[in-house]
Amino acid sequence: MVKMTHVTKIYAQDKPALKDVNVTIEKGEFVFLVGPSGSGKSTFIRLLLRELLPTRGDIFVAGKDVIHLRSWKVPHLRRNIGCVFQDFKLLPNKTSYENVAFALEVIGRSRHVIETQVPEVLRLVGLGDKFNSFPDELSGGEQQRVSIARAFVNRPPLLLADEPTGNLDPGTSLGIMSLLNRINRTGTTVLVATHDREMVDSMRKRVIALEAGKVVRDQQRGVYGYED
Amino acid sequence: MRINVLYYSREAIDSFRKNWVMSLAAVSTIAISLFLLGVSTIGASVVNDMMTSVESKVKIDVFLKDTAPPAEVKVLQDAIISWPQVTKIHYVSKQEALDRLKEDLKDDPEMLKQVTGNPLPASLEIWVKDPRMVTAVVEKIKQQPSLNSLVQDTTKDIKSGQAVLEKLIAIRRIMNISIAVLLVLLGFASLVLIANTIRLAIFARRKEIAIMRLVGASNWFIRWPFMLEGILQGLIGAALAVTLLAVGKSVVFPQLKEVLRFLPIAFTQASFVRLVLILAAAGVFVGLTGSSVALRRFLKV
Repeated sequence: MVKMTHVTKIYAQDKPALKDVNVTIEKGEFVFLVGPSGSGKSTFIRLLLRELLPTRGDIFVAGKDVIHLRSWKVPHLRRNIGCVFQDFKLLPNKTSYENVAFALEVIGRSRHVIETQVPEVLRLVGLGDKFNSFPDELSGGEQQRVSIARAFVNRPPLLLADEPTGNLDPGTSLGIMSLLNRINRTGTTVLVATHDREMVDSMRKRVIALEAGKVVRDQQRGVYGYED
Repeated sequence: MRINVLYYSREAIDSFRKNWVMSLAAVSTIAISLFLLGVSTIGASVVNDMMTSVESKVKIDVFLKDTAPPAEVKVLQDAIISWPQVTKIHYVSKQEALDRLKEDLKDDPEMLKQVTGNPLPASLEIWVKDPRMVTAVVEKIKQQPSLNSLVQDTTKDIKSGQAVLEKLIAIRRIMNISIAVLLVLLGFASLVLIANTIRLAIFARRKEIAIMRLVGASNWFIRWPFMLEGILQGLIGAALAVTLLAVGKSVVFPQLKEVLRFLPIAFTQASFVRLVLILAAAGVFVGLTGSSVALRRFLKV
């Protein structure tokens, strides 16, 4: 699903954000990407979305050569990647239903598809009774569920989450993680960048650890492993 | 696709309403530019009509001395008609000249009473193929050896409409140049203003744009509402300009006709329709260009 070979990204001179990263993630995996701030987690995710191009190396996502993708094809790549962020990125003037529907509208899905898929995915994330609530009427955890619904409504094969629980309390975080886990069990590959130690330790999933732009550890059923 | 068209239009109109001050500035600048373009087009057409009418009337008059021997006049007449530039030559006798004057003054009996005897000279009227040949023909006539015995004064007594024509050409040139300069400046101002409104619109919707990119909306899907907004501004400007022109035309033309009774002044319905289409196209063009500039600079997709 994701294959990075010898990927190096340099923003400023002599200070690489990623150094010779080699990572392969198979279809259906659940992977934690951990590391302290500035270790390159966000760069990693932005490279997969082709918001950035690497300085060196090759990247394949869902069978597509991301680096040599023509720019007009980038939107199609992004339709195959669901995305969840720490700050939710919801539109404040739209209800949760409209926020999710928006993602389908702008890629040209028919009204029929929208009317069947949006309620379904909102129920899946546990917001069956909050269709008409605006983001400021929802708790942080509920807002993140809306954003996960939006990321997942198009059934992408890959779901990226950048610090999805960064703004949430531990109890709510647990709920979000189990939701991501459930999405993973439908066959979707899930990659979660986080520094939520307890979460990583309790889930016992594959852990890729970055430090100063290098992969320092990659283990199945791993733990967070830093003493920070 | 039908949903998309609705979506684009709704977005464009929404944004137009939200930034109406900037939109108004852009729209009125376009309206003024297009109005001037229209005025200059109509003006040029009217001046052209006038010129064609004057051109067809351009002839050379050679006024003859009363003492000119008829045989020599006949020789000159035969010589001139043989030149390739000359299409027609007509001898106007003193009597014919007087008859014409009486005809011209028939509405003005007071003036007619002043005319006693026949003070008018006989003359030769010469028509040429092309008004631009007038000067050359006049020069050639002056070089005729017999001329001194036929004409009192070779500079005063050989007359042509050339001067009027040259004046009209000069007027047209000055008008065209000054309007072209003004149009370039105003066109540039319209572009900048449109680009600026679109920039504001992009800024106001940056969150939505970010999400659209994230979920994989195609580049053109993101661009279209802004392009439409630019086009809309161009079209509204064009509509305003056309309204102004139509009103102006119906007010000014009758008065102009009153003043310049002897010249044909007309701007046909068909020409006006063509002008409307040109202005609309120009409006769309300016709108499209302005929003493209803004999109290229401020909307990275």
